[in-house]
Amino acid sequence: MAQAIRNAKVPPNSVNLEEARQRVFEFFRSACRSLPTVMEVYNLYDVATISQLRSTIAAEIRKNDHITNPKVIDLLLFKGLEELKNVVNHSKQRHHIVGQYVVGRRGLEQQELAAKEQGISNFLKNFYNSNYS
Amino acid sequence: MGLGLLASKAMRPTASRLLNFQNPNNLLLRTIVSKPELRKPEPAAAQPEAPLVDLSPRTPVGGARVHFSNPEDAIEVFVDGFPVKIPKGFSVLQACEVAGVDIPRFCYHSRLSIAGNCRMCLVEVEKSPKPVASCAMPALPGMKIKTDTPVAKKAREGVMEFLLMNHPLDCPICDQGGECDLQDQSMAFGSDRGRFTDMKRSVVDKNLGPLVKTVMTRCIQCTRCVRFASEVAGVQDLGMLGRGSGEEIGTYVEKLMTSELSGNVIDICPVGALTSKPFAFKARNWELKGTETIDVTDAVGSNIRIDSRGPEVLRIVPRLNEDINEEWISDKTRFCYDGLKRQRLNDPMIRGPDGRFKPVNWGDALAVVAEAAHQVKPEEIVGISGKLSDAESMIVLKDFLNRMGSNNVWGEGISENTNADLRSGYIMNTSIAGLEKADAFLLVGTQPRVEAAMVNARIRKTVTSNHAKVGYVGPATDFNYDHQHLGTGPQTLVEIAEGRHPFSKIISNAKHPVIIVGAGIFERKDQDAIFAAIETIAKQGNVVRSDWNGLNVLLLHAAQAAALDLGLVPQSEKSLESAKFVYLMGADDTNIDKIPKDAFVVYQGHHGDKSVYRADVILPAAAFSEKEGTYENTEGCTQQTWPAVPTVGDSRDDWKIIRALSEVAGVRLPYDTIGGVRSRLRNVAPNLAQMDEREPAALPSSLRPTFTQKVDPTPFGVAVENFYMTDAITRASKIMAQCSAMLLKK
Repeated sequence: MAQAIRNAKVPPNSVNLEEARQRVFEFFRSACRSLPTVMEVYNLYDVATISQLRSTIAAEIRKNDHITNPKVIDLLLFKGLEELKNVVNHSKQRHHIVGQYVVGRRGLEQQELAAKEQGISNFLKNFYNSNYS
Repeated sequence: MGLGLLASKAMRPTASRLLNFQNPNNLLLRTIVSKPELRKPEPAAAQPEAPLVDLSPRTPVGGARVHFSNPEDAIEVFVDGFPVKIPKGFSVLQACEVAGVDIPRFCYHSRLSIAGNCRMCLVEVEKSPKPVASCAMPALPGMKIKTDTPVAKKAREGVMEFLLMNHPLDCPICDQGGECDLQDQSMAFGSDRGRFTDMKRSVVDKNLGPLVKTVMTRCIQCTRCVRFASEVAGVQDLGMLGRGSGEEIGTYVEKLMTSELSGNVIDICPVGALTSKPFAFKARNWELKGTETIDVTDAVGSNIRIDSRGPEVLRIVPRLNEDINEEWISDKTRFCYDGLKRQRLNDPMIRGPDGRFKPVNWGDALAVVAEAAHQVKPEEIVGISGKLSDAESMIVLKDFLNRMGSNNVWGEGISENTNADLRSGYIMNTSIAGLEKADAFLLVGTQPRVEAAMVNARIRKTVTSNHAKVGYVGPATDFNYDHQHLGTGPQTLVEIAEGRHPFSKIISNAKHPVIIVGAGIFERKDQDAIFAAIETIAKQGNVVRSDWNGLNVLLLHAAQAAALDLGLVPQSEKSLESAKFVYLMGADDTNIDKIPKDAFVVYQGHHGDKSVYRADVILPAAAFSEKEGTYENTEGCTQQTWPAVPTVGDSRDDWKIIRALSEVAGVRLPYDTIGGVRSRLRNVAPNLAQMDEREPAALPSSLRPTFTQKVDPTPFGVAVENFYMTDAITRASKIMAQCSAMLLKK
């Protein structure tokens, strides 16, 4: 085990933004390619479709589209890869996937909606959130 | 098992041999007292001057204050060597309380007559041969009372032993456990062992109805419940049967206890003989969180404590407030709490084209409501606040509708010609506690027993203590005190006003006459004429003077007084019939058939009650146990509820919903916090900002213009059909349904 950790190699940092960008596309493609397996492994046919999950992944990536530091992008990629591995290796359970990427997606949509409604007051934001805030 | 039997048993040679065998060193009979000095207590010697303890004034029990009506009547007694001044007529027990010594007691209760049968309050009085029962002994000048001497202690231990003789050892399964007087006092004053070895007696349990659970074996025959029923509740249902060890409490024949105050016997029972049936085996009292709040099921605003565990209200018990409910509450107040768990609305919902409700999020629901409100003309917008609405939400609703351009906003139980201009014309000017002074009552179209049980208890107290005369005008109804049924309709009133009726003499001869008008009259078309007749009676009987205002209105709902203060009065008779957008804020007793078919109806409330069937959008709100809300009771006392449990599901506080809606509708209201709403409330009705204070009306109602309209001869109606089910919460309650099925007279 210790051997394995020592031998594990973190890929070298991207030299420039362009390389980081290419890596992100590469990551997105590999994630999309693994989606049919994910559907099969977690039996998601009755709650989501492949295209929905694909757009979820795209949305997760786009959440970070303002980042320009290649080092930060590399780190986020590393975390994404780790997550992807966990998902594909069935290290998660079905409700994790459903909660995070199927239902959580709705929360994401609401966030986008909230971002649209910039004009509303803090009172209304808190009101939509809960009775106690 | 009587005293003689016990004594003879102790004398039996075998018993004593056995005892001696167990305790060979002791040649005497084994005694039961806990300390050797209590075995043969000598009466305390008359110590002439022994003020060794500090004589600084002590605080009376419970911080009580003594009122001397006549300073010459003060007498001085000594309690444990400490001199106290008390008025003449106080009992020894009361003198001890003034001196700050709490005497153990079971049968004595300050609001009931004195029975003196438990003997727990024995104290030693100098120069008296035996200990005296302090609750029944009047204090005499110079009396030297000893509460802490070996004689008194032994007396208490003895009494305790006798009481525990026949008391079952079922504290682990007893609901009173943890708040039981017998438990506490046996720990404090009892002995650690008993000599009784026989079988304990057992008593058959009685069925007192759906509210009170009885385990009569636990009863110690203090007779508090019997005295409560006959003196305060005014029903002769309970009594004492049998003598000696066969003595038991019961209804003489198989009968339920049909009083609207029956739940109070649970509180006054010092043991677990009478406990709450709905609360049975639900929780232990030390697990509960108490929240001191007020009740909203009627217009009295009884002070209550909500006991909750987690998100669930488990019981409601009264809180002491001498001015409003003393220490009693009605059964509706006490047992309506299970309605807070049933039929609750927990998500905003929109009625789809198929007529079914679909849960949506708050943003969508508010957007739909705002759009619908903008599509109609401002004068077609109508808002109605319900029976249980707090003052904050009512002012926010009024402000919102005013900003939408409509002034059609009113409270339930208020009709278009209700007088909201003079505050003295709709509150109880005498105040509830002030009713005790009265010596003649004229009840007009009100059945206080079902409309406001606590006010009725005050009237009954006055009738029994002052022998006040009661005249009643209205449909035949139940009273639990002597009264004269003068008539059923307004004509009787006219007769009294014109002096043609014998009762007008009673009013004019009375020193403190009281007229109580039921708020059911607000619904009548001829209410101005009726009030004019009442004004005439008041003028002739000198009911309103500078030192006495006996002209009262008894309101029906918790929200009514505040709604009238805020001016929530309908503008015209037909405003509901021509409405296109109706905002019902907890309004369940509005006639929904009057709402036009094409109107858009929003229901904001906490229960899926009557109006939900007509609603197009449901906005879930918080019930009184879940929010901070200002309520004004019928005597004009402003009080506040406090949240005891969290809100259900996705519901929100009432005022917040309307505030959010106003922003979505583009007419944003200028307050964001409850403090902001309250300062707005202070601008409109300053008395609603004075918490826990009764604000008397400034101007007498005689300033009203006079009316010469004829009264309508139709008799007065019944305002409350079913005492147990009057609002959304009580209608959802299972216990209240059982009560109305079993206890209401058919």
